[in-house]
Amino acid sequence: MNSHANVINRVALTVFGLVLVAAGCLGLAVSVGAFGAWRATDPVLSQEVSTFPDGRPWFWWAVAGALILIAVLALLLLLTQLKTDRTTRLDLTTNARDGYTTLHTSALTDAVEDEALGFTGVTRVSANVYEHRGQRVFLRVDLAESADIGEVRTRLEKEVVTHLREGVADPRFPVIIELHVEAIQRSPSTRRAA
Amino acid sequence: MTATNWVTRVVAALLALVLLVGSLLAVVEIVAAALDQAPVMVPHSEWTSWLRTHSWNDWTVKAALGGLVVLGLLLMLLALRRGKPASLPLRSRTDGVDVTASRRSVEKSLAATAARTAGVTGASASVSRRTARVDARTVARSEPGIREEVEAAIRKRLDSIGTERRMRTRVVLSTKDKR
Repeated sequence: MNSHANVINRVALTVFGLVLVAAGCLGLAVSVGAFGAWRATDPVLSQEVSTFPDGRPWFWWAVAGALILIAVLALLLLLTQLKTDRTTRLDLTTNARDGYTTLHTSALTDAVEDEALGFTGVTRVSANVYEHRGQRVFLRVDLAESADIGEVRTRLEKEVVTHLREGVADPRFPVIIELHVEAIQRSPSTRRAA
Repeated sequence: MTATNWVTRVVAALLALVLLVGSLLAVVEIVAAALDQAPVMVPHSEWTSWLRTHSWNDWTVKAALGGLVVLGLLLMLLALRRGKPASLPLRSRTDGVDVTASRRSVEKSLAATAARTAGVTGASASVSRRTARVDARTVARSEPGIREEVEAAIRKRLDSIGTERRMRTRVVLSTKDKR
């Protein structure tokens, strides 16, 4: 659940793809003589271009600066792949003058998982708290194929979500529930019904 | 995460790695050249002389430029392709609660539903944003109206799941024994 990284990846690939297409098309246009037949027979690196940095000591340092900027952007893109929006603490402070209140998310997610596992038809539950433009709980619920989806949904929304929101003292705390009907995958951080 | 997102992530990571290493290597070469040192890793004088001796209409240059265009288009295609959704939104009932159903699990569920219909020996399902398609295999002489039965069953299942958007259903029947 990291749509933030997905958006960044798509933007980066689109920009880089556009640069490649533009450079390639421009070069192909030169090579077929679109900018004059004489230019097509010119060397790729003309005398004029190759001697441009001569007598301009700033040129290569400007290129190095641009390359460092590209390297930093590439590093940020690389770090985005490793970053997760998952958080382990919830800040419940209402007034900093009275002190700070922090809730370990495992206390919240364990309670949510335990409650949801008690519902008929629920075979596995995994809850996590994510933080990107606000905090939210992501609840993955696996259901037996015979489960009454409507009833499970109602109980999740009326009971689990209500208790969760009471726990964080926020009646509008955002929750995302993802239902998996007759799922068979298993992950170590999930709990199964006995 | 969908398969498209995984591929996008891997390609973006590779691109970032190539740009990072390439940029730093170029900076190292610039610094080495400024200090009158020999090239560290990149034989840039050989590259420069190659570019000076090959013209724009050289086939190698054209092929390289064509390769750039193809690579760029592939990257853009990958970035702009929507692909199938990982999950389908369900009808909202409570403020601030978004409920979705995983697409794969919906597909499995529809396939199982179709397979339980009398006369159907097996089925597979494929769900996109707007359409649910079920491919059902039937026995040689299937009962008339089996398509309607399968369609009604998967429609009922979709209703019980409660997808936000009413999906079009499509049932394709194939006979197991075509003699």
